[in-house]
Amino acid sequence: MPPLAKIRIDLTSQVPAYRQIVDELRVLLVEGSLPPGSDLPSVRRLAMELGIHFNTVGEAYRTLAEEGWLDLRHGRSAKVIARGAQSAASPERVQEFRTQLRNLVAQMRAAGVPRSRIAAELRSTLEGLNP
Amino acid sequence: MNNDLPVSLLVAAFTGAVMLLLPHISPRRYFFAITVPPGFPSSPAGRTSLRRYYSAVVCSIVISVVTLLELDRWSGPVLPAVAMLAPSILGMLAYLFERYHVAQVAPRPDPVRVVELSSDDDRLPRWIALMLPPFVFPIATAAWLRARWNEIPTRFAIHWNGHDIADRFAGKTPRAVYGPLLFCGGMMLVMILLTLATFYGSRRGRQRTAIVKMMVATIYVIAALFSVIAILPIAPFRPSMLLIPGVLFSALLLIWVIRVLRDPSMPVDRTPDDCWYLGSIYINAKDPAIFVQRRIGFGYTINMGNRLAWMLMGGFAAAFLGLVFTLPR
Repeated sequence: MPPLAKIRIDLTSQVPAYRQIVDELRVLLVEGSLPPGSDLPSVRRLAMELGIHFNTVGEAYRTLAEEGWLDLRHGRSAKVIARGAQSAASPERVQEFRTQLRNLVAQMRAAGVPRSRIAAELRSTLEGLNP
Repeated sequence: MNNDLPVSLLVAAFTGAVMLLLPHISPRRYFFAITVPPGFPSSPAGRTSLRRYYSAVVCSIVISVVTLLELDRWSGPVLPAVAMLAPSILGMLAYLFERYHVAQVAPRPDPVRVVELSSDDDRLPRWIALMLPPFVFPIATAAWLRARWNEIPTRFAIHWNGHDIADRFAGKTPRAVYGPLLFCGGMMLVMILLTLATFYGSRRGRQRTAIVKMMVATIYVIAALFSVIAILPIAPFRPSMLLIPGVLFSALLLIWVIRVLRDPSMPVDRTPDDCWYLGSIYINAKDPAIFVQRRIGFGYTINMGNRLAWMLMGGFAAAFLGLVFTLPR
């Protein structure tokens, strides 16, 4: 039996809880830990388990549904759906990612992580994400 | 010597003993109702807190006993009552003092929450259906009483004193005869609803399953006890005998609860320390849970910051009051 996928959020983080849930779930969805057909906990249940407001989880689920990852039907738990082929990201979006990546790499460098280690981490992260 | 003195001394000793046990009848990760890392109670800071608490409680017991013995020469009900309650009042103050102290010295709990993304635990377990068969007890008892209606005396006892002597009676009316069974059925329904509310309104975990199992066992005991109470007008046995299964069940429950509490693998409900008041009142409007794990003792308490919890408790209180009126008087 494969290990159950888990998400973790830090309630003291400056990153909003909704954003943390979206990011954590997206990683699990991209790397295939949550394959199409998987049932996610209902909004109410996940909010209760995390000890946060229903709207926070609802917003996170809606964001992922808009990205095409989840099927949200009223009264049912959220279901992971097969995501169709995506059109290439726009140049503006790519520029946005590049900025985020630069910031992250700069943070790692500032924290004393060597270049070779950063390159290895990026490579292994990319390889870990299936599609 | 005042006749009440032995009872007062016994109550003082018993409450004192309970206060001494109080730090140990909580889930393991809580120490004086504050979240602490494993091993904190045996650390120097933890041991100091415990020692100081024990000293305060022992002092309160001594004060209570000496005062009760001294007051024995004097008359008046107020001072002996205060002296008798001294171990619980002073003990609770000592507990709250240590709680405040532990909150200052214990490391802050990890703010990271990890949740399994499974919907499996969200479905009611099938064995919860075991709450339905006990309804047969009151229904069968009602049918049995109806068949023997003529054997029921026109006036029968509905209350007994401590010496098993009847001190209140009721006439032979349907309400008086079937009242305990109606009350029992209502109680069982309320218990089922409370079980469902607990299951859906609390976080997943072994404690939730344990509580639900306890409710299933309790519903059988209630059904059996009230069915026996209902046949008392024509059954030739002493009502005090009913105390035996009740006490036996409570003792078994207590042993089981202590075992569950001391189980190191039992997970804890990670509620923020700041939202607990006096160690036992939880108010957190941001937490959608209706029921949260108690920090003192075993079981759940309501999240008083949740409006749904108030509505639910109001509904249960109203249902219970309504049921009391079904009892014969």
